[in-house]
Amino acid sequence: MANMRKRGLLVPITLTACIIFITLPFGSATEFSFRDGGKTKHSLAAYRWILAQEDFLHYLGVSFRLALGAVLITLVIMVPTVAWLHLKAQRFRPLMEFLTLLPLVVPVVALAIGAQSALPEALQSSEYELSFMYVVLAMPYTYRALDIGMSAIPLKTITEAARGLGASWIKAITFVIAPVIRNAVVGSLFLTLALSLGEFTLTSLLHWDTFPTWVTSVSQQNIIGAIALSVFSLAAAFFLLFAIGLVTMRSKSDATEGQK
Amino acid sequence: MSSATLEIQGISRRFGEVVALDELNIKIKPGELVALLGPSGCGKTTALRIVAGLESTDSGHVLLRGKDMTEVSANHRNMGMVFQAYSLFPNLNAEENVAFGLQMRKVPKLNRLTKARELLEVVGLNTQAKRFPHQLSGGQQQRVALARALAIEPDVLLLDEPLSALDAQVRANLREEIRRLQLSLGTTTLFVTHDQEEAMSISDRVGVMNNGRLEQIASPDELYNKPATAFVASFVGLMNRLPGVLNSQIVEVLGQRISVAENDLANGAVKVLIRPERVSVIQKTGENNAKVITRSFLGASSRIICEMRDGTVIQSLVASAGTGSLNPGDEVKLVIDEHDVLVANV
Repeated sequence: MANMRKRGLLVPITLTACIIFITLPFGSATEFSFRDGGKTKHSLAAYRWILAQEDFLHYLGVSFRLALGAVLITLVIMVPTVAWLHLKAQRFRPLMEFLTLLPLVVPVVALAIGAQSALPEALQSSEYELSFMYVVLAMPYTYRALDIGMSAIPLKTITEAARGLGASWIKAITFVIAPVIRNAVVGSLFLTLALSLGEFTLTSLLHWDTFPTWVTSVSQQNIIGAIALSVFSLAAAFFLLFAIGLVTMRSKSDATEGQK
Repeated sequence: MSSATLEIQGISRRFGEVVALDELNIKIKPGELVALLGPSGCGKTTALRIVAGLESTDSGHVLLRGKDMTEVSANHRNMGMVFQAYSLFPNLNAEENVAFGLQMRKVPKLNRLTKARELLEVVGLNTQAKRFPHQLSGGQQQRVALARALAIEPDVLLLDEPLSALDAQVRANLREEIRRLQLSLGTTTLFVTHDQEEAMSISDRVGVMNNGRLEQIASPDELYNKPATAFVASFVGLMNRLPGVLNSQIVEVLGQRISVAENDLANGAVKVLIRPERVSVIQKTGENNAKVITRSFLGASSRIICEMRDGTVIQSLVASAGTGSLNPGDEVKLVIDEHDVLVANV
């Protein structure tokens, strides 16, 4: 009986600890970002300061553009590649698992220089090279999300069924595979987006300016403004996650409605 | 629906060292249902997948209406396929699944949904049109898969063990439904199965495969009564294999001298293949040659297993009427019907 009571308490205690662990730093940072010049008085001064920075929207736009580029590349290259591995080259999956782990192992400096030299020259002088780099950096996570998604469905059978019914490879991927593994695709795209929006080291090494590098430079001028920027970035990421979750849930509930 | 001639000409396929198909030749007439029957790994599914364009060949050709389709990709062959595993698209409801092939053919939405509803009605699922695959039973899913394969008005319908995942009652019902639909639509059909009852009950002809080769292709009657090889004889239906002695087309077995069809076997010891229903059990003759071991009541018929004096075990299938007095241990006389006795090498 006492054991059961202990076990019953374990869940709420763990949950509360987790919530505190996650929300306390964020709450504290939020509270601090509203302080007026470091005093106990609260105001929106730091956020007004952010909006007053003329480069704020510019660098935010740059980061979003590059992140969307990375998302697009992931969608166009990663989804068909992982599908192809599952359908036609199962024996190469262990090799692919190893290769996709390399971005975590190889130092960013080596990765930046190595990956840059592998890109076409025209791309090396364009900021869009970062989109390709972000795809490489996100690969350990995106590959696994897609791999798990595709392992969970009878991919070969439904693809063959689609092909037999007249679907080309592109149509089979667009109309059958991608919708069936929608959650895995959305998850991998979100991972790419989140990583791209926050990436600093590689961007800085390649001498490009994006939102994270801009935040670093302006944080030296205004410490509360820098905290406000971090809170803003985090809130934006949360909002994005929430929006994607909402879209996914709505698609699911639409499907369930249709079933009734 | 269209009916087409399907020809498989000299198809061979190896997977590494394994020969999956060895010079397979089959010609299926328009509107005919041919089953490929054989044990696991005999190459029947490989043959079907090659016809569907899902597998490549090492040599040979697939002809549809005389046109070589060997190099044509699966999506351009116009063949409807029903798979063993449930293959419905989980993100689409039953109606959308059936309409998928028409969508790929750019049929306007209204037309394709109308056609899908018609086909769902044909397979008895018109009330389940809005249900998703996970809300349907196994049998219902296969019905939807069948409707989906037929929706594109295929030149050939390919069935890859579509009933094997279903329970016995559903399997029997769906089997009859497939045949009914196939006959009414006149679709040329190739049906792969390892279940001989399934193959024999609904096919116009059955091809028995073994080790990548076609042993015999014939009507179910002919296959059962006149098997061309010892493998076909033992794979299709039950068969007693008794020791005998061959001498100039006369084989001596159980003390009987029976003339057999012309064959290439040398005189001497042979195996004699006899169907259980060709063995009669006679009681109280005074010339008994066997002892009853078990009697199993199967309804209209009974299976009686007997042991000869030399220890050979023989199975007999006889009408149940009149066998009620037979008990294990009873002495009986076994007599072989002289028709359709086959001999094979020892």
